[in-house]
Amino acid sequence: MADVKTISDLAQLGAGIAIGFGAIGAGLGIGLATKGLLEGVSRQPEIAGKAIAFFLVGAALSEACALYALLIALKLSGMI
Amino acid sequence: MSEAAHWIAQIGNYSFNMDTLITMWVAMGFLIVLAFAATRKLVLVPSKVQAFAESVMGFFWGLTDSMIGKDGRKHIPLVASLFLFILTANLMGQLPLRLLHLKHGELASPTNDINLTAAMAIIVLCYYLFMGIKKKGFKFFIHGFGFTEIILFLVEILEMVTRPLSLALRLFANILAGEILVGAALGIFAYFLPIPVMLFEVLVAFIQALVFMMLTIAYISMATAEEH
Repeated sequence: MADVKTISDLAQLGAGIAIGFGAIGAGLGIGLATKGLLEGVSRQPEIAGKAIAFFLVGAALSEACALYALLIALKLSGMI
Repeated sequence: MSEAAHWIAQIGNYSFNMDTLITMWVAMGFLIVLAFAATRKLVLVPSKVQAFAESVMGFFWGLTDSMIGKDGRKHIPLVASLFLFILTANLMGQLPLRLLHLKHGELASPTNDINLTAAMAIIVLCYYLFMGIKKKGFKFFIHGFGFTEIILFLVEILEMVTRPLSLALRLFANILAGEILVGAALGIFAYFLPIPVMLFEVLVAFIQALVFMMLTIAYISMATAEEH
């Protein structure tokens, strides 16, 4: 692991900005997926099982985008 | 963190991450022993282990029948192996295997190594390309010669890069970020704060195995779908 003193200030600032924007995108994506799930289940409660499976896949795909940003943030701050 | 360094064994020009390999073999051994125990003496009225295995198979049959169609069951060996192996590998990270101290690295999930997830993603890529070409010949690539077909062809080529990349990175980032989070929680309030984080990691293990498997099924069904 690189020492904190050898990472430049701008790189650490970039790490914070990266994960900030990544979290915004993931939050919006998972919120929209939950909205779709609730609307579908409230119209037709029998599809709850299949709908939850689709919701989980969709939420994981959206979450993955935030995790790409997290990987870049970890690399910029020297932890990975 | 010193755990970021793996225990590397050099053979010639190639280096192997031995801690990843050892935990991967443990996960494989567990699944093979479970498979033998479930299929040793198949009776019509099933025992406990056989009933569990039958419910797992029923889950896969339902999934492939609904998503791929009538001859989807021949893809179950790959799909079920991916799901069960990734689930076992992810859950191994929550076991207290770190009590065994290695000189470099530690015994955590094998899926926290990008090499393992990239290998699985490349297998999925080669598999769906092979199945698509076997079913449709070289018309798999060239649909026609109009403008939209050329764009679709270029997008197909681009997806041959982005699909395995996203599969590998998604699983790797989820599991590695989970381990870093548990480590940070240990630093903040040891013994108590990691518990909810580890419970969340168990949920993430299930979801990531499910997502990898369903994306594999989706890619196979898109590659072998009939044209309208």
